[in-house]
Formats: sequence, structure tokens, C-alpha cells
Amino acid sequence: MVYRRFAALLVAGLLAGCSASATPTPSANPSTAGSGAPSVTTSAAPSASPTTAAPVSITLWQNYGTEANAPATYAFVKAYEALHPNVTIDVVSQPAANYFALLTAAAISKTGPCLATQWTGLFTLQDKSYLEPLNNYIPMTTLKQFKGIEWGSNNFNPDSGVYVVPWEMQTYNGFYNKKLFAQAGITSLPTTWAELAVVDQKLKAAGIQPFVYGTGAQGLTAGFYPYYDLSYLMMMIPVTDWQKLYDGSLPWTDPTIQAQLDKWVALKANGYTNKDVLNDTQSFQQFLAGKAAMTLEGTWAISAVEKAMGSNVGVFLPPFVDQPLKGIVEFPGDGFAMTNYCQHKDVAADFLKFLADPAAQKIVADEGLIPSVLGSSASDPLANALLSFAATQGYTRYPMIDNVIQGEVQAVGATVLVAAFAGTMSTHDALQKMQDALMALPADRRSSSGYK
Amino acid sequence: MILLELGLLGLPILQTFYYSFTDWNGQTSSWIGLDNYARLFNDSTFWQVLGNNALLLASIPIAIVIPLAVAFLLNEHVTGWRFFRSAYFLPTAISWVVIGIVGIRFFAAEGILNGVLRTVGLGGVQTDLLSSEVGAMVAVIITFIWSVFGTNTIIFITGMATLDREVYEAAHVDGAGAWATLVHVTLPMLRRFIQFAFILTLITAFTALFSLIFVMTSGGPGFGTTTLEFFVYEKAFATGVFGLAAAIGVVLFVIVFAISITQLRLFRSRAD
Repeated sequence: MVYRRFAALLVAGLLAGCSASATPTPSANPSTAGSGAPSVTTSAAPSASPTTAAPVSITLWQNYGTEANAPATYAFVKAYEALHPNVTIDVVSQPAANYFALLTAAAISKTGPCLATQWTGLFTLQDKSYLEPLNNYIPMTTLKQFKGIEWGSNNFNPDSGVYVVPWEMQTYNGFYNKKLFAQAGITSLPTTWAELAVVDQKLKAAGIQPFVYGTGAQGLTAGFYPYYDLSYLMMMIPVTDWQKLYDGSLPWTDPTIQAQLDKWVALKANGYTNKDVLNDTQSFQQFLAGKAAMTLEGTWAISAVEKAMGSNVGVFLPPFVDQPLKGIVEFPGDGFAMTNYCQHKDVAADFLKFLADPAAQKIVADEGLIPSVLGSSASDPLANALLSFAATQGYTRYPMIDNVIQGEVQAVGATVLVAAFAGTMSTHDALQKMQDALMALPADRRSSSGYK
Repeated sequence: MILLELGLLGLPILQTFYYSFTDWNGQTSSWIGLDNYARLFNDSTFWQVLGNNALLLASIPIAIVIPLAVAFLLNEHVTGWRFFRSAYFLPTAISWVVIGIVGIRFFAAEGILNGVLRTVGLGGVQTDLLSSEVGAMVAVIITFIWSVFGTNTIIFITGMATLDREVYEAAHVDGAGAWATLVHVTLPMLRRFIQFAFILTLITAFTALFSLIFVMTSGGPGFGTTTLEFFVYEKAFATGVFGLAAAIGVVLFVIVFAISITQLRLFRSRAD
């Protein structure tokens, strides 16, 4: 029996998931093979018109769990199906922890969905082999209505092929408990490490745990969470210099980066965070219950915090800098993409086009999220408070750092940063492993001429 | 039957060897020669992962000796041997996922192990094994040894049941004690069963612990419990570099093959 299991594993696991096809699949467009450019000039072959009365059924995979994005997705589908009675969109909620592994495996066997939640930035480019460029299906004028459409595009240029429709803008941000802050005598939000230290001390002196960190709000594994903090930790340098992390001219082992991480680790060492930092599966629930004064999440958590805490919750930006913070992570972090093996591409594309419709963007706003289409606006007060940092207070918009570093480096960081933040690995060793992962990449994956 | 084996096993193996020389993203591939292997051998994480597999390999003698000793006692029909035979076999019938969850609950900072230590007044030695790279690997190895304990015990009990009783009687007549009987009679005659258990345990350790590690530690902290098998998954499905993952798969295949052949030859030469 074990030999059989060995045989199965030998085929499925050890052999890294062989393709369903017996031979390597040639590039669909020889002229673009190896260039990284999609075959956007290839004419599409519609299988059914969205206006036809013939019943069409497609599948959409999402990994939102209980985030506000999930009800928004179901609302999109309901609204679209009402407009197109012949179309049925089967929404499948996949586990967030291994969502992309599932999507990749399904793409190889071409058994996956037509539409799928996809993260933007280099996450998109990493998966573009099974994503369909939308340029032939949706007018560029419509695509460019979505803010940050470039982050879901090949080489971050929409004209090279758009893969993802980012239907909402996201921030990484902190939430704080106003009553607990008042109880500790805190009257203003911190904007530097030094001010944060004072806030932490006051909270602790009042018997209040300052931060709670963990995976409670989403189904993601702990590995993604350090990047919320790292995005703010790296605001010590201008956003234009983040490319240096990509091309290696600013090594991950740079002492200034390590010093930033060390300051974060000191938060835990000083007892300002929960002990099981980043591995607490009930962290968000503990924050909602008032057991900690601050937590880090993003716009997807706004509706949940408001529902549980009402007006007692406020937003803040992690002040992980020595000079007053002037940056915010505001980014189209995800959206929907169409797979290149979809049998009803025109219908799927029509659904994606619908996301630019005011009715769809109202759904986004109603869920407390930030609509991404130009001219639309958020209706939630916390969402608007977050938008105001860049829109009216002069803060610089930063991308999510995990979306603009190579997937291989991101994956290593997801493992070692958790250990470093938890204090079980030195920050030096963690950063060294990220640097090793970067330097192990072929030189053309560390280009200084742009992200690839 | 041979065609079926070739189609289901041989072809994927050959494909994997081929893909290990390509830049393969799961959809398209291009020939890059030995680049994947060069990249792999220059990756410090790969060597750490290989070290983790070496630790697993080093634990296999323990996973053999303990069941062997228990099987010997059961074969001697110690009190309650029927109950223990069933109890020891129980982990074999439990899925790796459940074993992983049990492992977490047992080794967690607020888990069963530390609870027991506190209860017996040894709170000072309690430890959070899963929080450090070395500790987590120790926890995984202990869980692994426990999980294969039942299978190996049954293999050895079965082996002992097949041994010729007249040889034992002759040993007793010659004045051999329990220890001498074990060393000079039982173990030599059990050689093929030990060999079988070793290879089975080796294969399990190197190619069947994915679920356990995925549930228990996800390969962490850091890369502390990432084995070659888990590394294949991470490279293929976390970062989409299937060609590199195929190269790791080939390395894993070669290692298991080499150890198995070496072990077989060692036993064969001793038998000769």
C-alpha cells in the first residue's frame, strides 16, 4: 500500500505536477515567445455572445473568505445575472491559504474557472501563462477607467496586455480602538517610531495590550502578513527607490533595512504585541473584542470593524519611520482575471466590463470598500479617511511591497519574515535568505529597466 | 500491465527529467540546459533543505529500532500483548492531516507536552518546540517516528511469526539467553524484514510527509522543516517555477534511489 502511495507521490509530488499534455506546450504566438509579451494581437474566438439567449454557465473562483470582498463578489454576480438571465456564474469560494496553488494546478489541467480572483503586480506576471489578455475583449477606454490598471498589466503597461480588472482600491492600514486610546490618555496618533513608543508605553501602563497581530481576519497563512508591516517599514526610502530592491542595487541585507526590522522586533520584545505574533488565528476577533488597542489589516476589514465596534474604531497608518510618516499603501491589490482556457471568454469579459458600471462600483462602496473606477467615490467614512491621506494631506501612494518584489523573493520572505518577526530567526539571517533568493534569480529577472 | 506501469510511472519520470532542463511555467517550456541545477546548487536554502532530509534520514534507525524492540516483546507474549499490538498499530490508520494536528496540539507552547511537564512539576523544562527551526524539526521527526511506529511493529511481528521455532528451541538447548537469542538468532533471520521496513520508512520520510509538514509547520519556521518534497511544492505552486521544481524532484529521486540501492547492497553483501 505504501509502495502505491510512493508511486502516486512519485508521479504527483516528486515530479512536480506534470502537465496534462505529454509534450511541452508551444507558445501560442511564436513571435512573442520568450519576450514575456502576451499574444494580444491574436483574434479572439467567441464561443457565445453575451447577448445571446442561449444559456451560458461560467465559474468564478474567489479566495475572500469572510472579507467584504466576498459579499461584493456575490452581489456583482447577482446584479449581472439579473441583466443577463441566460448567464449563470457559479461562484466558488476557495481556501485562501493555498488558493494560487489550486489555481495553478487547475490551469495546468485546464479544469479551473473562467474567472478568478487574482492579485496584481508581480503576482499577476508570475501567473500570466494561464491568464488571457483582455485587450481584445474590453475597450481600452473602459480598462483605463480602473485606477491602477497598469498593475494588472503585462510589464505594467496596459497596452502590452491587461490581465486583471482591479475593481477596488486597497490600503494596508491600522485600526485602533478609540476608547482604549482615550483610556490611556492618548490624544493624537503617532507618526514616528518615537511617538509610537510613547503610545505603546501609555497603553501598556494602562494595562492595555497595544498591538495584536495574527491571521484572524483572513484565511491567508501567516506568511503574507509581514508584508503589511514591511511596506511601511520600507517607507524610509522613497517609493521610486523600491525598484532598487527588485534589481538588487539596494540589497535586502542593507543595514538600514535590518535596523527597521529590528525596531519592529523590539515591539514584540518590549511586550507591545501578543506573544504568538503573526500566528494568532484569533487576532482580529481579539481586537474586535477590545483586548488590544491596535491591529493591522486593510480596507477589506472595514465593514467588519464597523459592524463590531461602530464609531469606536479609527484608522491609522503604521508610523514605522524616524521622520513623520508621509506615505500610505494605497494600491489596486487584486481584482478578477480571465483564464486563457475559458470556454466562454466573451461572456467572462462582459462580466469584467460590467465591473466598471456605476451599479457595480456602488456595490463596492456599499461594502465599505473603495471603488476603483475614475469618478466613483467611497461612501464609508473610514474608507474616505484613508483616501484623504493621499488625496488631501499630501501623503505619497506606495504599492504593496509584496506585489512588486519577485515571487521567489516574496515566497522566501513569507517564510523567514514570520520567523524573524516572531523572534525565532535573526533579522540578519532572514534578510540574507531573501537576498540569496534574489541573487539566485537569472540576471534578466533583476532588471533595472522595469519590473518583469 | 507493464505498459500501464510505463504510461503511469515511466513517462512522467522521463517528462520530469526533461522538464528539469527547461524553463517551464506549467504551460510553456524552453530548453535551458543545466541552469536549473546550477541555480539549485547555488541556493543556500536548498542546502538547508537537504540538511533537513539528512536529519530525517538519521532518524530512520530510531524508527526501526524502537518498533523492533516492541515487536520482540510482543512476540514474547508479554502481559497485554494483544491490546498493545492493536494500540501500537492505531497511528497507521490515521491520516497524516490528523497526525499533524495532533502534533501541533502536542508540541504547542500551550500544548499537551508542556501541560504534562507543568503537571509533574517540570515546568522549568517546558519548551516551545515549534517556534524554532531546530525545535520544529525535532517535533516533526518525533511525530514521524510515532506515525510509522505501528507499521514497522507489524512488519517485525509478522516477520517473527514466520521464523522457524526449532531454531529458537535449539538456541535454548544451547543455553542462549534472551539477548543472545535476539542478537544471534532473531535479528539475522529478520534481515529481509528490517530491510523492507528501512526502505519503506525511507520512502515515507522523503516522499510522504508533505501533508504532515503542511499541516504542522508549513515548512517553517523559516525553512526549518522544509524537506525536498515540500520544497518541490513551494517552488512549483508558490512561485510557479516548475522547471526548477522538476530539478528538485530529480534530485530527490536520485537520493532515494541511491540510498535504497546502497542499503540493498549492504544487506546483500552481509547475507552473502
